[in-house]
Amino acid sequence: MNLFEKSFLYITITLLSLLTVCSKPDNKRIVLAVGGAPSEVEFWEKIAAQCTEQTGIELQLIRQPTDTDQRRQNLVTALRAKKATPDIFLMDVAWIAQFAGSNWLEPLQPFMDKHTISDTSFFESVVKQADHYDNKLIALPVYVDGGLLYYRKDLLKKYGYEKPPETWNEFIDCAKTITEKERQKNKNFVGYVWQGAQYEGLTCNFLEFAGSDKPGIVIDSSSPIIHTKRNIEAATLMRDLIEPYNISPQNTYTDMKEEEVRIAFQSGNALFERNWPYAWKLHQSEGSAVKGLTGVALLPHFKDGRSASTLGGWHIGLSRFSKQKDKAFTCIAYLLSSEVQKQFTIQLGWNPGRPDVYNDSTVLQIMQHAPILKEVFNHTVVRPVVPYYSYMSAVIQRYLNAVLSGKIEASAAFIDCEKELQEISRRYSK
Amino acid sequence: MTSLKRSQDSRQYSYDWPWVTLLLGPGLFLLCLLILIPVIGTIITSTNRDITFMDGKWVGLSNYAELFKDTAFRQSLRFTISFIAVSVPLELLFGLGLSLLMNYKSSFRGIIRSLVLIPWAIPAVISGRIWELIYNVNYGLANYIIEQFGFEKINWLGTSSGAFWAIIIADLWKTIPFVAIILLAGLSSIPETLYQQAQIDGASFFRRFYSITLPLLRPVIVVALLFRTIDALRIFDLVFILTSGGPGGSTTSLSQLGFKYFVGGDFGYGSTLSVIIFLCALVLSLLVIKFGKFSQEAI
Repeated sequence: MNLFEKSFLYITITLLSLLTVCSKPDNKRIVLAVGGAPSEVEFWEKIAAQCTEQTGIELQLIRQPTDTDQRRQNLVTALRAKKATPDIFLMDVAWIAQFAGSNWLEPLQPFMDKHTISDTSFFESVVKQADHYDNKLIALPVYVDGGLLYYRKDLLKKYGYEKPPETWNEFIDCAKTITEKERQKNKNFVGYVWQGAQYEGLTCNFLEFAGSDKPGIVIDSSSPIIHTKRNIEAATLMRDLIEPYNISPQNTYTDMKEEEVRIAFQSGNALFERNWPYAWKLHQSEGSAVKGLTGVALLPHFKDGRSASTLGGWHIGLSRFSKQKDKAFTCIAYLLSSEVQKQFTIQLGWNPGRPDVYNDSTVLQIMQHAPILKEVFNHTVVRPVVPYYSYMSAVIQRYLNAVLSGKIEASAAFIDCEKELQEISRRYSK
Repeated sequence: MTSLKRSQDSRQYSYDWPWVTLLLGPGLFLLCLLILIPVIGTIITSTNRDITFMDGKWVGLSNYAELFKDTAFRQSLRFTISFIAVSVPLELLFGLGLSLLMNYKSSFRGIIRSLVLIPWAIPAVISGRIWELIYNVNYGLANYIIEQFGFEKINWLGTSSGAFWAIIIADLWKTIPFVAIILLAGLSSIPETLYQQAQIDGASFFRRFYSITLPLLRPVIVVALLFRTIDALRIFDLVFILTSGGPGGSTTSLSQLGFKYFVGGDFGYGSTLSVIIFLCALVLSLLVIKFGKFSQEAI
């Protein structure tokens, strides 16, 4: 081969590889984008195969990463390019408004009517709060999440507490007493672990502390309000738990995300834990130091308020750019059917968005805490349903994290925070 | 080579154009497709209101105006610049020392060279996790050592300055080997005879280092400086793992901030941030290259 032939070959290969990249997708199957832990995605593969078998519609999976923000980025790229696939996808409850506001989600009511599915089959408050945008139904819950209080049954009993504390005052007394005594034996023991690192989990935790009867962040005629007495009280309490009470560890505001919190509790080093329902199954697994010793309750509240759980979870949506919406909805209907949802609960320990699954006898055997979960899902608070929520949350996280580190007082923080939030809302309101 | 004919008298090159096009064309085409067009696209996007949930329109430079008013941007610009200003000189200093050690002929040279490379070979995400464990307040190695000496535990990542230095130390641990390896390549290309002659002339060790090693190493130092400055400008993974930008946003890097805007759907603002990062990289590289030329003239 001489030099000319070599170069010719090189160019041909380059062009050919470009062509293969640009090949057209095939138009018959429905594509579902789903991510999560490897075991979860494996299980989705199985469910997709079942769906193909039972509905006759070929359902193909696009595997997404585990990280929530990467999953979102993945979908934003496809939808912004108006791509026909994925036809259906799972969304975190925190970004439904962004997707709906971008006009990427097909309203589902007409399809629901055609398939005679009623939205009353799902948790009513969840569907009402999270799945509607501009009064249109644009998503349906697949997996519902809410903040829970996990506690050590054995320790409460040992120190003479009959039930977990309900108000923050009771909680602080109880946690202080037990922690001081337990620390004499185990110097790593702490009273309460929760999510305080600078990330989305911190906003969720704050909404629960602030919770009570009103949501912590109110958007009043498109102007966000966060500088309220109750919010200052809540943020101050969050700081006080770390210092001076010494109930929550110092690394709450540096390291504590879901898994760090779960591991601290699961290794037997904490009395109370705030986490999502997924932790339950892991606490009960072999090798866990708290197996059989864990109880679940509603999160504490202020004396004049009520318990609040931030609504989390994953919802399914139908792309407006899908070329086969009818078929795609048939797949959604299949995935949300009682039968399939039951499989998710049994196999993955998921909390379905359908209340009827919680009454199933096999499910009740596995999830002894199902009744409490049901109650929690009736106490949910939602994060503000605006398309620019994630920018608001980033600001809130920054200020709250500074409060937790003791760098700034809560009342001063919320004044500046509110100004920045209003700036954001001004920029992103039409 | 048939493609290049030198006409001796004028010292000018005449090109065989079909060959030049054929050989450079595909490369240039890909360069335009993958770098030039996206960069221009980003600059255009940055002058638009390009938000997925709002109507698009041309807004001129107002994204830039908003950016400079933005507290979060100013905070992360300050962090990123201080990070470059502190980490890069330290990397060069320690890297130079390490490369001299690696170049020193001893029976341990092989072992030293391979040991030094380990931190660089570990992915940043994993070394971030390692350092996170070291800095942990309750069971971290750093506090364990401190306690052995009778001091109180320190919450390393809990204060702005603590978190900043924690990130610097973790970064130094990881990137010094990289700088050392690049400098080592430069060191081994310096002819041994120069040192021998200097020694005969009676030059001391420091004199030899200052008059031979340093000037001959300068071009390589410039390359290392360029690589590290641009890399430090883009820092993401280490910060993401160690502090997730906290406490109170004090360690949020520019690329972390940009990522947040793209994910949230505001492509115009995100692009504006990218353009700023691009301009920073451009200015810093031009400075470094200019500095490099200056030093070559000095030789």
